Amino acid sequence: MAEKKTSRKTVKMEGPAIDSVPIVYRHKIPIGRVIKYFDGLREGRIYATRCKNCGAVYYPPQIDCPYCGSSDVEWIELPREGVLETFTKVYARPQGYEDFEPYIIAIARVGGVRVMGWLMNVKDERCVRVGDEVVLGTTYIDKHNKYIITMQLKNKQC
Amino acid sequence: MRKVGIIGVGQSVFGVRGDVTLQELAWEAINEALNDAGLTRKDIEISVVGSVGTREYELLPAVPINEYSGLSEKGPLRVEAACATGSAALAVAYNMVASGFVDIALAVGIEKMNEVDSATSLAVGGRSGNYLWEYHFYGTTFPAYYALYATAHIAKYGTTEEQLALVRVKNQKYAARNPKAQFQFEVTVEDVLKSRPVAWPLKLYDCSAITDGAAAAVLASEDAVRKLKIDTPVWIEAIGYASDTANITRRENYVGLKATRLAAQMAYKKAGIEPKDVEVAEVHDCFTIAEIMAYEDLGFVEKGLGGKFIEEGQSDIGGKVAVNLSGGLLGKGHPLGATGLAMIYELTKQLREERGRDRQAPLKRYIGLAHNIGGTGHYGYVTILRR
Repeated sequence: MAEKKTSRKTVKMEGPAIDSVPIVYRHKIPIGRVIKYFDGLREGRIYATRCKNCGAVYYPPQIDCPYCGSSDVEWIELPREGVLETFTKVYARPQGYEDFEPYIIAIARVGGVRVMGWLMNVKDERCVRVGDEVVLGTTYIDKHNKYIITMQLKNKQC
Repeated sequence: MRKVGIIGVGQSVFGVRGDVTLQELAWEAINEALNDAGLTRKDIEISVVGSVGTREYELLPAVPINEYSGLSEKGPLRVEAACATGSAALAVAYNMVASGFVDIALAVGIEKMNEVDSATSLAVGGRSGNYLWEYHFYGTTFPAYYALYATAHIAKYGTTEEQLALVRVKNQKYAARNPKAQFQFEVTVEDVLKSRPVAWPLKLYDCSAITDGAAAAVLASEDAVRKLKIDTPVWIEAIGYASDTANITRRENYVGLKATRLAAQMAYKKAGIEPKDVEVAEVHDCFTIAEIMAYEDLGFVEKGLGGKFIEEGQSDIGGKVAVNLSGGLLGKGHPLGATGLAMIYELTKQLREERGRDRQAPLKRYIGLAHNIGGTGHYGYVTILRR
């Protein structure tokens, strides 16, 4: 058995530095064409779009159908139940999310599409399984003044 | 299309490089590549600068980089394909030479990711899918995206966290021998398993770090290679490319990357080779799960058996294909724009048999493969080199 190495060489070269003139980005995101989606979240509903011409379904919703070229779409409400396809628990949180407890991002198959959301009320992520059934809803997130999609495990406690 | 050879390569030391500006860092790679080719800046007809450029104070880096390196009249253009930017820069430079637009081109890849703090860097990375539908609502991070793949791969194929850890162990073994790597030390499976969770099931040592670095390659047409009397040109046999959806919810599954599969198929077909012909490869191990999926999606092993492939040592020297003898993105570091060209740097050295005995791949066919993924499978580039 080789002796365990104690030196852990990591390249970290620092030198004198100055601060840049700060720049702050706060973008305006146009949501006019998908306002129905945002209204739906407030009402606890999740909407997708369906092309009236060719039947293609879009989630996240979009108003233009690249398959047939039509922009004539209708809004369809997605079912409130789905099956977990995958998930992760985010411990290293990015800027803007530092004040949240570690959160679980999940992707569920819902009807014919996949939906991203936060899986709530889970103490131990190791007991959650791909294939678990989930119930979908929406939740108001005060810190960001926004509604998001949330999921709960249907038949089990973790 | 004309045959294109790589006649010079350069790479800066990777790591936290608070000691230099973007331009000074680029110079380290450019100067080494020019010296390696035996050329001067005057011989370069065009430079292609690959930079994601979302973390630096210099927002439009191509021109300042060119000016600093004495290339200001060489018509730079800037290329971006997320973490596959370096390969995209190579592809553009390749096509400029292959088409006859120029005879000698320089491809430079660079990123300085440590000019901002880690939380900012995570927030920038988390925006690389589709901001409005993902980051805005759910605070996705780059490790989280790959963790979604890891969870699904583990669930479907029984891949274990120990198998993921073995990828880091192998890559650190070689990073420890690479004086240009960010992390020059070895780790054990236990070190990886005990590291703190970042995005479960991925832990700190399952993730590549935040790195500053630059890499460059000088490309020349076959005629120019002859005229310049280059001893050991390494030929670009083929470049395959592909892409996939921005929204991760629109992917076909979470156990492999379609962009890898399609880019690999294209590259193998163009080069007239099969996966088993590849002797040395640099693959996109931004996370341990990414290397496991790469074995499968590149066709080195059947889908689902990537975990077994590393466990059996098939991706190490002496196995079926020697993978990431540079230390990979995990050990060497992953400065986004530089990564693709750093793969070319390593493979060129490998194919010229310039590496020391402790990390030189044994070669018979002299075929190398670079696999570079942008985003979370948004862009895929597979480049096949032959000496």
